[in-house]
Amino acid sequence: MAEETQIQEGGNVPMKRRLGQKKGGKGKNKMKVYKGSGEKVKVNKKMQKIFRKRARDYNSDDSDEDEGDDSDEALPVSRNKKNQRREKEEEIEEKSSDDDGEDGEDKGGDFEESEDEHGEILPGITKFAKGCKAFRKAFNKITKKSVPDSVLGPVLSVHQKLIAEKLAEEEVERKVKGEVKKEKHIVGEKGHVQPPHNFLDTHEKFLIGIATKGVVKLFNAVNKAQSARKGLNPERTKDAKVIKKRRNAAFFSELGKKPNHSEASSKADGEGPSWAPLRDNFMLTNSKLKNWDKMQDTTVAEDSGMPTYSSSDDED
Amino acid sequence: MPRFRNKKKVPFVKPVAKKQQQQNVDHITGDRIPRSFVFSRGKLPGSLKQLQADLRKLMLPYTALKLKEKKRNNLKDFLNVAGPMGVTHFLMLSKTATAPYLRVAKTPQGPTLTFKIHEYSLAIDVARSQLRPRCPKDLFSNAPLIVLSGFGKEERHLSLVTTVFQNIFPAIDINTVKLSSCQRIVLLNYNKDTKLIDFRHFSIRLQPVGVSRRIRKFVQNHQVPNLKDLQDVSDFVTKAGYGSESEADDEAAHVSLPSDLGRVNRSTNKSAVKLQELGPRMSLQLIKIEEGLCTGGVMFSEYENSKGSKTQESVEEQNESDEDMEEEQIDSEEDVENDPIH
Repeated sequence: MAEETQIQEGGNVPMKRRLGQKKGGKGKNKMKVYKGSGEKVKVNKKMQKIFRKRARDYNSDDSDEDEGDDSDEALPVSRNKKNQRREKEEEIEEKSSDDDGEDGEDKGGDFEESEDEHGEILPGITKFAKGCKAFRKAFNKITKKSVPDSVLGPVLSVHQKLIAEKLAEEEVERKVKGEVKKEKHIVGEKGHVQPPHNFLDTHEKFLIGIATKGVVKLFNAVNKAQSARKGLNPERTKDAKVIKKRRNAAFFSELGKKPNHSEASSKADGEGPSWAPLRDNFMLTNSKLKNWDKMQDTTVAEDSGMPTYSSSDDED
Repeated sequence: MPRFRNKKKVPFVKPVAKKQQQQNVDHITGDRIPRSFVFSRGKLPGSLKQLQADLRKLMLPYTALKLKEKKRNNLKDFLNVAGPMGVTHFLMLSKTATAPYLRVAKTPQGPTLTFKIHEYSLAIDVARSQLRPRCPKDLFSNAPLIVLSGFGKEERHLSLVTTVFQNIFPAIDINTVKLSSCQRIVLLNYNKDTKLIDFRHFSIRLQPVGVSRRIRKFVQNHQVPNLKDLQDVSDFVTKAGYGSESEADDEAAHVSLPSDLGRVNRSTNKSAVKLQELGPRMSLQLIKIEEGLCTGGVMFSEYENSKGSKTQESVEEQNESDEDMEEEQIDSEEDVENDPIH
């Protein structure tokens, strides 16, 4: 692995050289980026040297191919110089991790190389011009290209058909999913009705009327029952009796029914044998069973039969 | 060693708490307070979950507002909890492909009433439809009144419905009740033609009769009124408000109170009862009545109605006393249904 990366770096050198001319500081930034993805391969110093040498060789070959005109005689000299300098740098940068150190050194080397070559032939400048032209041509070619006016837009893939198919499929799938969801929602909302805004129809008014009637009836009954004992002291037995009588009379007259009707009706309702649970229900409201522990308190025991009325009085 | 023996002589007796019984009994009237659970059977869609929340709110204060249900909870779990908690009623919401259903059951023995919910509106829908939705602070601190109308006494299943719904809220003792605690009312109206039960929930408001809106608000709100447009202070009192006063000067809705209620409603004046809908709103159809808690013999079924009424009559004729005969009767009913000649 290490070898491969090394070689690649070597191959990249001419590009880096251009960068190096403009700003040497950028190398450090790149170092940091490299750190993140760095594979931790331990390399000995010796191995490092060997790798570096190989890289340099590769580099020189590459440059030979590129520059062509470069004289072979001049290069070895410069290389020797480079080698010496690199060795010094190695010593300085021993502390940093292997990969980073290599990267940085390579760049440093590139920088030096360009400096060296500045004096001799200035190959970098010509190369820059060439590269610029080629790039311009390529870029112009791309920009001038008329894009086919398809739904997919400019796709650089050969498999345009495939992509189109895939997209269409997705669309269909989404539609189906949406429909299913809609259906589910409709089923879930079944029976859900929004009342008309700020408007009561006749039926609602009728219902409100019924409810109001019920409330009025109850309130009046309560009023009669509670105002009857206003002047009397319920602690005195004499008054208590009066209160009881009045209360019952007032209440039953209010409801327009006979005093003992409630219990009779409840018993009649509960008698059907097939309706046993019905009878169980009446056990709940039956005053005798409910208040067996309160019998000594006569007033309470007498009154407790009434609640059934107060809630059921609105049948007519 | 003797010291140890001494210690052993006094065993630790755990104090027996009798709180449970006291909780279930109203401390003034001594009546048993019915309590309820509202929960769902099966998975509900969002709007029905909201309906469930609304129903829980309606059943306040004697209900579990934040009852947690899990998928694996079955009816037995709720029943087991219901006993020690003193819960007497279950309201169960469920949902099929055709319609949502509401079951009202008495615990632990039943009966169970199954209603089909034909239409429903949530409390929030109702509030949205109103110009000024009303929600005073103590609205849900007392149990609602219940008004049952149109049920009649003739039909058995309907009278059963009335009894169940009467007992679902605590009974009112008219001698001790405070009118200020009557804040809400639940209305169940049976329509004989459509066989639908309209379920409505209203808030009760009392207003003094013959007092203009301005003055009422002035007394209620403690706010300095805006007299910018008036020539004289007396105009504030004499000038009538907007035409809205005329809407409900209905004599039938006037009551006189036994005591003062709030700042505006005096016992000396008459007050008008005004209802405003709170929601939820439901129109229910009674489908089925079962004897037990979601089990047991079917006492009434909407879909075999003609036969059901016949057999009920026959039941009345044939056996008056024997409960054991019931099941046989049901069996015979089924036979009858299968028999085309009958």
